[in-house]
Amino acid sequence: MSIILRQITRRAGGGEIARTSTLDKTEVLIGRGTDCDVQIPDLAVMLRHARLHRLASGRVALDALGGVPLNIGGRFVERGEIDPASGARVVLGSHVLTIAAGDTADDIVVTVERTDAPGDAAAARDEARTFGLDAVMPGKRPMVWLSLVAVLAVFLAWPIWASLQPRPAATPATPTVQRVNFAPDQLWTSGPLSAAHANLSNDCGACHDKAFVSVRDETCRACHDKLPDHAPLNRMQAARAAPAGLFGEAKAKLDAATHLTVGRCASCHKEHEGPDGALMVASTFCSDCHAGLKGRLNTALSNVAGFDTHPQFRATIVSTPAAKNPLLTRVSLDAKPRENSGLKFPHKLHLAADGGVARMASEQGQGARLDCADCHTPDADGVRFVGVDMEKNCASCHDLAFARDRSGVVRTLPHGRPEQVVGIMRDFYRAQGGPSTFVDRRRPGIVRTVAGGSAGARGDAAVRAVFSRGGACFDCHAVTPPSRAGALDFGIAPVSLADHYLPKGQFPHKRHTAVKCESCHAAATSSTASDVLLPGVASCRECHGKVTAGATVPATCDTCHGYHEGPATGALPVGHPLPKPVKVAAREVRRRGAA
Amino acid sequence: MASRAANRGALHEGFLRHNGFRWLKIASVLCITALAAYLLVDAEPRPNGGTAVGYALGTIGALLILWLTMLGLRKRVISRGRYSLKAWTSAHVYLGLSLITIVTLHTGFQLGWNVHTLAYALMMIVVLSGIWGVIAYGTLPRTLSANRGEATQGQMLEGLRLLDRQLHDAAQPLLPRQSEMVRESLENCSVGGGLYARLTGRHRRCGNARALTAVKAELRAGRPDPGQRLSLIVSLLERKEAALGQARRHIRTRALLEVWLYIHVPATFALIAALTAHIVSVFYYW
Repeated sequence: MSIILRQITRRAGGGEIARTSTLDKTEVLIGRGTDCDVQIPDLAVMLRHARLHRLASGRVALDALGGVPLNIGGRFVERGEIDPASGARVVLGSHVLTIAAGDTADDIVVTVERTDAPGDAAAARDEARTFGLDAVMPGKRPMVWLSLVAVLAVFLAWPIWASLQPRPAATPATPTVQRVNFAPDQLWTSGPLSAAHANLSNDCGACHDKAFVSVRDETCRACHDKLPDHAPLNRMQAARAAPAGLFGEAKAKLDAATHLTVGRCASCHKEHEGPDGALMVASTFCSDCHAGLKGRLNTALSNVAGFDTHPQFRATIVSTPAAKNPLLTRVSLDAKPRENSGLKFPHKLHLAADGGVARMASEQGQGARLDCADCHTPDADGVRFVGVDMEKNCASCHDLAFARDRSGVVRTLPHGRPEQVVGIMRDFYRAQGGPSTFVDRRRPGIVRTVAGGSAGARGDAAVRAVFSRGGACFDCHAVTPPSRAGALDFGIAPVSLADHYLPKGQFPHKRHTAVKCESCHAAATSSTASDVLLPGVASCRECHGKVTAGATVPATCDTCHGYHEGPATGALPVGHPLPKPVKVAAREVRRRGAA
Repeated sequence: MASRAANRGALHEGFLRHNGFRWLKIASVLCITALAAYLLVDAEPRPNGGTAVGYALGTIGALLILWLTMLGLRKRVISRGRYSLKAWTSAHVYLGLSLITIVTLHTGFQLGWNVHTLAYALMMIVVLSGIWGVIAYGTLPRTLSANRGEATQGQMLEGLRLLDRQLHDAAQPLLPRQSEMVRESLENCSVGGGLYARLTGRHRRCGNARALTAVKAELRAGRPDPGQRLSLIVSLLERKEAALGQARRHIRTRALLEVWLYIHVPATFALIAALTAHIVSVFYYW
């Protein structure tokens, strides 16, 4: 009947040293104190921690002495009874007591063992953990794998997956911008889209419809189906300078291999460059072809490298007026062209500061004299002017009253219908015998009355007078004589007024309001309608390309010209209708930006 | 001249001044060429990554990045002479720095919230952390050896363990309350601490400091101190405090010396992933 105490110390090399002693007692004290039978050098243990004693039943009782419960077999108790046959494990601080039956039935073996005994390997590990950063940082390899996978998943796989999803069809009711708030492939955007395409920002597939294929013209034309090209494709290709030099040739080959050939929509309209991006082109864009166009192409166009070398304007003037299809001719202003509109109109007379016209203008409350704006009204765009109209612009002075009838009503002639003029005047003289009172000669072109003879003869004489020198029609129009002597089938030569002298370009008059009309148009000194009152290119150069009011007035090609304005045809063929420039979105947008 | 040649033989020539700054010169030529190309070639409508110069700069940048990454493989192979690891490291540093110019010009200064700018930002993180690394390698080892004197890391730790054992033994006869104080130092005192403690050297809740304060207070309060045990423990705790200070300065210096690689290396691979996504996306949505 004894208690066998085994104290085990682990060796650094891995083995263990067991020291055994036998206590011939029925009761042993366990604790940190030196008076204890089982001394445990551990500050977590009380000086007198527990008492172990044998019971009569052969079992072992363990009492806590220090007031700290004992951990027996995992349970915390003040007192525990242990059957040595089945054994038990008691944890005391960093030591473990194992209680078991000995070799003889009476013996009890108490094994004391320290649970954490550091060895050399552990010390080395300790050193690495203490001084290196590995202990507190996630490993580099896991971080590498994590970042690789995360970036590839979010920025490559996800957008590719999104690009492979079918695009919902756009309808007027669901514009693209409303369909999704965010598309994963937006992560790939290289910059904001232009203002015109901003609604496609979350719909990459609208333009990038084929993977690894540059945006194709067909895709652009799906929406821009009305936009004319600059010139026929074969002529544009011929117009381009052949790639020069080793680099140029290599680039051309590379471009062809990658389908990035020059002349595609996207080769000029670079997207993802911000609000004005798609409409920006290089300053040399036009001159790349036009500087040496004549050498490469059979064309009527002159070579132009810039505004400095821009040839004199060639105005499209009416050379033969006609009711339908007047003959238009493009003539250089240097050739001092004469226009034949079929009309007589001396600007000098109408703009004179004194004389009959000025007097009449002041009588009508139009100021001391006529000025340009009294007849020329800007059009809705403020670019050009509404065509001059007899009834609106001339008739307030040039009225066609010819008589006052018996009831005092002033009778007028219809404008533009010479055959009716003849009929109306003859009927009036036959029915009323002539005017009861003559209309005062206060307006130019007033119908003169004829005295003497029968009513019919007086009527015929009045008709002849209207169509002859000094008559209402003759003042402004060229009169074609009657078919035979004595007949009254007078005619009026056709009138064709040019409504756009420089249809290849645009001159927005509203942007030039700081300049007076007469500084460009020499109307005040023009005494005949055949004068072409257009300023030459030198007049434009007085401001354009120069610094005015602290800013350079633009003199780039697109200041006046648009690219998508239809084929450049050179001189207009006979009977060609006056071309109307297509409004180019590019320039409209830029104008808004500039305003 | 003679003395310079002699000096070269005698003195250590670091990777920065390797071979008379050869790679600094090469990198400078590369940057100046890139800048000249950027400024002189008229890009339509404006410079960016999609012009001829842009593609060229991008290709050079991407190849440089891949080559620079190869240092990780190269440094595991030892060789001498012309293609020595020192030469590689020198080229790695200077060509890596040239990326700042080349890739910034490649962007055309067009940055946004997208994969392209992500790649650019990651590259800048890699380069900047690399600059940190070069500075750290140039300055910190001096601090490290000045701090530790002749002691090795193992000796520092062993010294602390010895003090712990002495503390442990000296505290055996103490009352439970007092032994609790000493246990603070033995059990709640981490030499290294967390990342923040390592990088800043601030160990706010250090058990040793608290034990020292508590035991000193115990002495001041005039508690019975049979056998001058508490006084002994105070002196042991103070010695441990000094030893901890040295070890922790060592740890902090080492942390500052090592931490950049934890940014440099993972950011490099994140960059390679972003670069892949950048290149694929550019041609996918050409």
